[in-house]
Amino acid sequence: MAGELEGSKALSGLLSGLAQEAFHGHQGITEELLRSQLYPEVSLEEFRPFLAKMRGILKSIASADMDFNQLEAFLTAQTKKQGGITSDQAAVISKFWKSHKTKIRESLMNQSRWDSGLRGLSWRVDGKSQSRHSPQIHTPVAIMELEIGKSGQRAGSRERESQADSLLSAVPHGGLDPMTLRSGPELKSRVRGLTD
Amino acid sequence: MKMLVDFQWKLGMAVSSDSCRSLKYPYVAVLLKVADHSGQVKNKSFEMTIPQFQNFYRQFKEIAAVIETV
Repeated sequence: MAGELEGSKALSGLLSGLAQEAFHGHQGITEELLRSQLYPEVSLEEFRPFLAKMRGILKSIASADMDFNQLEAFLTAQTKKQGGITSDQAAVISKFWKSHKTKIRESLMNQSRWDSGLRGLSWRVDGKSQSRHSPQIHTPVAIMELEIGKSGQRAGSRERESQADSLLSAVPHGGLDPMTLRSGPELKSRVRGLTD
Repeated sequence: MKMLVDFQWKLGMAVSSDSCRSLKYPYVAVLLKVADHSGQVKNKSFEMTIPQFQNFYRQFKEIAAVIETV
């Protein structure tokens, strides 16, 4: 039985399943599902602690957002531990993290976004010739529709559309200049400085 | 149709969270103030990732360019 768990073939699949459940929010992945699909020869009693161990390792790696040096050091330490992992398993885990790191990090970032996100943006420029509120003739206006809703929800999903706020806003030509155009480039250069 | 009366922004960096100790996630938070025809002002806030903000900014630049030609 122990031999089955020490092998590394099914481990890759197990890590995928664990990642789906822990990071990507997949609901249906149970212990029993993973065991029956990947380690059918192993009893649930034996599988449980093994699964917990692998889940713990994966969560530690993701939580620390380990680079490859940290990863190697961490996994080496795990192989030396009592009841730790084999070097074959360490290799599988290492390969898994290297190829899934970006996607897992993205999911973790999404999990930490609680504010509404910008789900859609469309705009139109009107050349107004007359306005009830403004005596000016031919005042161009930018009209923007912002779809603001809870992050993680896909735009266009009928069930969730009602939760999004459609913000139709008219931005007169004069109004864009003082605030937005001055703010925009300044904000953009600060963002660039932060992400370069 | 509401009027945009103010646009505030904040550039933030999420450092850590309960699900990820080392998050290092930059984001742009925006607060829009919009007024309806009666003059009542409402706040709308939302958050953008950096790629989302870059697209947002690109759209604004496009609007600014087009509105000059109208």
